[in-house]
Amino acid sequence: MIQDYFKLAYKSARQRKMRSWLTMIGIFVGIAAVVALISLSQGLKVAISQQFLSLGTDKLIVQAAGGGFGPPGTAVSKPLTEKDKSVIEKVRGVDLVVGRLIRIVQMKFNDEIKYGYVVTMPKNKEEQVLTIEANNYKLAEGKFLENEDSFEVLIGNDFADDFFDKSLHLRDTIVLQDHEFKVVGILQKSGNPQQDGTIILPESPLRKILGVDDIYDIIPLRVEEGENVDVVAENIREELRKEHNVDEGKEDFSVETPQQVLSILNNILAVVQGVLVGIAAISLVVGGIGIMNTMYTAVIERTKEIGVMKAVGATSKNIMLLFLIESGFLGLFGGIIGVTLGFGISKLIEIISFQIFESALITAEISLSLLFGALLFAFSVGAISGVFPARQAAKLKPVEAFRR
Amino acid sequence: MIKDYFQLPWREIKRRKLRSWLTLLGVIIGIAAVVSLITLGQGLQNAIEKQFSALGEDKLFITAKGSALTPGLSTDAVKIRDKDVKVVGRVSDVRKTAGMIFTTARIEFNDNVRYFVVSGMPTDPEERALLGEAQSYKIESGRSLEKSDRFKVVVGFEYTQKGLFGRAVELGDSLLILNQEFKVVGILERIGSPPDDQSLLIPFDTFGDVFGTGDEVGLIVAQVQPGEDTSAVGDEITKELRKSRGLKEGEEDFSVQTPEQLSAAFTTILDIVQVVLVGIAAISLLVGGVGIMNTMYTAVLQRTKEIGVMKALGAKNSHVLTLFVVESGFYGLGGGLIGVILGIGFAKLVGIIFVAVVGPAFLSVEVNYSLVVGTLIFSFVIGCLSGLAPARRASQLNPVQSLRYE
Repeated sequence: MIQDYFKLAYKSARQRKMRSWLTMIGIFVGIAAVVALISLSQGLKVAISQQFLSLGTDKLIVQAAGGGFGPPGTAVSKPLTEKDKSVIEKVRGVDLVVGRLIRIVQMKFNDEIKYGYVVTMPKNKEEQVLTIEANNYKLAEGKFLENEDSFEVLIGNDFADDFFDKSLHLRDTIVLQDHEFKVVGILQKSGNPQQDGTIILPESPLRKILGVDDIYDIIPLRVEEGENVDVVAENIREELRKEHNVDEGKEDFSVETPQQVLSILNNILAVVQGVLVGIAAISLVVGGIGIMNTMYTAVIERTKEIGVMKAVGATSKNIMLLFLIESGFLGLFGGIIGVTLGFGISKLIEIISFQIFESALITAEISLSLLFGALLFAFSVGAISGVFPARQAAKLKPVEAFRR
Repeated sequence: MIKDYFQLPWREIKRRKLRSWLTLLGVIIGIAAVVSLITLGQGLQNAIEKQFSALGEDKLFITAKGSALTPGLSTDAVKIRDKDVKVVGRVSDVRKTAGMIFTTARIEFNDNVRYFVVSGMPTDPEERALLGEAQSYKIESGRSLEKSDRFKVVVGFEYTQKGLFGRAVELGDSLLILNQEFKVVGILERIGSPPDDQSLLIPFDTFGDVFGTGDEVGLIVAQVQPGEDTSAVGDEITKELRKSRGLKEGEEDFSVQTPEQLSAAFTTILDIVQVVLVGIAAISLLVGGVGIMNTMYTAVLQRTKEIGVMKALGAKNSHVLTLFVVESGFYGLGGGLIGVILGIGFAKLVGIIFVAVVGPAFLSVEVNYSLVVGTLIFSFVIGCLSGLAPARRASQLNPVQSLRYE
């Protein structure tokens, strides 16, 4: 019995090949667009989370509060100091604290002048190990910074590539703020534009050339094993409030876990994804209208047929179901082609963008839930679009249907 | 004869009301989406260009290079100072100069702490007028900053609302800026862009003391003598600054820009965003076109007998072809017409709501007639193109077989 519904629906769709195909194109174009967009933005989300989670769940980041634009340390009301760092070190549950400076300096190489980010490597060996681990710094060539006071730098991969017209090599000299620095190491490409476009240098030379003492732009820290990160964060807030002499709710600093920073980013991504997918979904509505149109036409064309079926004992419910299944199938098949195409497009974009940017940020995330979700959705679009035509078919009176 | 081409299809469309409407609906939705996105995108660009051209074509803006990432302040890399303002002022054909600086700071009022942008403004009335003109600041109540002022502040419109600090700021109140007490002496008129309406203006010298920036300047505005070529004067300023800062050509650590150059960065990004959004919305137009094609194939099938009759009475292939192409063109045009109206209506609605909620500075929706005409032509062409294949099939039908068709 149920088999009959499917057979009949399939047969009538095949009979009108051209029309069925055109109707399905309407659906699969829309589904392909939606699937490709969702798959790419999920891929972006996963790539960003991975970068954040590589920081580890036992890390906290302390920064001075500011207005939000610019890198850490700029536009800050009250900067963090060495004193703050030692206050944080004494908080219960804190294992290791690192102080870093992030600044923009003038960079000169091969008579070309540009402006870019530099970040400091801490003095202490243990802190260096933590910094390298937390940022996932990997050497492509040369060595890490060893000598605390020497004017040596570690360059992000962009500098060895196309930051300047001529690429930098090991043992080249780059001029930062009119001071010469020797390149002793080149980092591997990370795919993170910020890391690839930054120069790492020892702390004291940067303090010397910029004339800043005592200030830290960002203080990352590791929590002791077994301690609750949120509890430790609250302890740090309390101690810094005392140190800065401010009341609760009036903090001039922030203590965040990488996850908190991540959740802000994810919220922004979700909004962007929502807008894009929403606009793409308009085409699905149009495709649904196409199905409705095809089904109305089918009902008119098969009026006589419906009359025969009713005359030999088919109930209105049987007819209704028959047409619903037919339109649902138009949606489902459109969906199958659309999902395949959508995944194909997003994979293609992934490959192309990897070739061009060498960045792993754009990846196609192909998930089963997206696959089945899209198919289910396509089927429902088809079935819903078929409701009105199917009702019209079901309501036909057998006698009148014959007469037409 | 030509009239027939239009009358016949019109009758056909009217006869199959439901199917025609559904086909039209597909096109309408697609066109409305595209038109409203383009209109809104242009509205955004209009507003931004208006803001920048309000800066005045006779003005030049001098900032430190590399400061794009830290707006308002010089970077560690490059500092622009008061003496640079004087160098710019001495360039012939420069009528007036003014320097200002701004940064985000901790603001405390009514026991609430928030972070807002504080600007250090010149207290000289002429210089202030130059900057005020560039930023369209007008005093609503109270007074502007004066030469003798120290810890005095002029606040933007939004501070008079309860939202920011839980209590409205009034003339004579005191705000804590970076833990220093400042007395409110003036309130600005509403400008309509949240960043401007959240301004806090304090005297330039006081800014230098409180923030420890001394005589550092974030932005120099130079006004050119009437009738002089702005970009030529810009080159002259570049030359003089290079000389006074001891730099060779090509080594400039500052940039001199006209308002158009400043706005170019924004409009380029906006253009890209708009192309992406409109591109995605255009997919629905494609689907609508497929819908037209489908309807036309069905129409050809249903009218097979009719076509046979027409051909038997002497209609040529080209007549039949034109007939069907015009019919499908109508679907496109009709959908386009309603779609344009809906799309612009929607964009206007969004514009009105946006202006009511946020203010007029970021969106000024205008009906673009070339967009309207372009869309109508475009939708007619889409209709015709979608109808081409079905119309060809109709025109190539064999009259004898068509007459026999059941």
